[in-house]
Amino acid sequence: MRGSDFFIIFSLTVLCTLLSRTLPVFLFARRAVPPALNATLDYIPIAAFAALVTNDLFQPHAFASGAWPALLPYVALIPVLVVARMTRSLGLCTVTGVLAFGVLQWLS
Amino acid sequence: MVSLLFPFMVSLSNHALRQGFRANGRMDYYGNSDKIQNFQKKVFRVSPSKAALPIMLGYLALGVPCGILGVQAGMSVTQIGLLSVLLYSGSGQYMIASLALSGFSPLFIALSVALVNARQLLYASALLPFFAGEPRWRATLAAANVTDESFGVNLSRYQQGGWSARQSLTTNLYSQAAWVAANLAGALLGTRIQVNTALAAFAMTSIFTCLLLMQKGRLDDVLAALGAALAVVACKLAGLMTLAIFLGALAGVACGVAARQWRPKEGGILTRPRGEA
Repeated sequence: MRGSDFFIIFSLTVLCTLLSRTLPVFLFARRAVPPALNATLDYIPIAAFAALVTNDLFQPHAFASGAWPALLPYVALIPVLVVARMTRSLGLCTVTGVLAFGVLQWLS
Repeated sequence: MVSLLFPFMVSLSNHALRQGFRANGRMDYYGNSDKIQNFQKKVFRVSPSKAALPIMLGYLALGVPCGILGVQAGMSVTQIGLLSVLLYSGSGQYMIASLALSGFSPLFIALSVALVNARQLLYASALLPFFAGEPRWRATLAAANVTDESFGVNLSRYQQGGWSARQSLTTNLYSQAAWVAANLAGALLGTRIQVNTALAAFAMTSIFTCLLLMQKGRLDDVLAALGAALAVVACKLAGLMTLAIFLGALAGVACGVAARQWRPKEGGILTRPRGEA
């Protein structure tokens, strides 16, 4: 990649991403968040996690290469859901997910 | 193998302790009594390194193909290192490499990545209430290297209590160290390292699933989650692959706000009622 091309990509992405990450905190740190905004903030975690999970699971063209490879992540998610419900432990869920996915991958 | 099983054992013992102490005392967000909370604080100090461990394992695996792709897109090792330290965005770095390989202009690439990373505005805003009382510089620093995964882990620690911007920053730095190391390894060693990317990606999906189920399941929360999930599906069907998370989360928040009037006074439809024993 040419140096000038890289510089454009690098400086713009770093600047914009850093602003997205820090600007709300920099502006509102040590200042009371308005109640109306606070009520909205409540929903960010659950909406973000639901979006991230769905984004990982739902692949529009997955079924083109057969039903089983497309269904594999959904099946592997079942034990993760059970363990998450029972233990609420990130470590256990990660181990369960990797084991379930690995075994299913190995079987198919 | 031992290192793989270690978090499993720690979590299992934590779980057993939690069950044993559940009978009495005040409960916290997760149904732990105050006795077990104090005990946990003493014995299993909730350390940033333990919080960051699941993220680090995933990043070590996912960072390698990202470095390899960077080299294929014609970037030098220095450039890949700079991006992983200062941009530190998995989706962003993958996008830069793949768009550059497809021959898009630098300006187009930069603006696309900036737009996709605008979802970080949501994470920073959600962390705001937890930064109250922290010095502005420390809160800003702790927000500066938040990712999808480290946002989730830090948020769950904050909800459990006893978490600060300092610990949050340390967790982020541990995660970032793993990411940078894996990026450089991929860039230097290339395809000599074989990584099961699908498996590593599913480890992250498992983390997000657990984080999702940890949230309170009141009616309005459930509707927010459903709205987000449906919006992501709609976005991806419409071909908006990279913006799906951001737009989906925004739609979910909008659903939650609209459904707030139906929030029950106590408890929820998914969570066990907690509180006084």
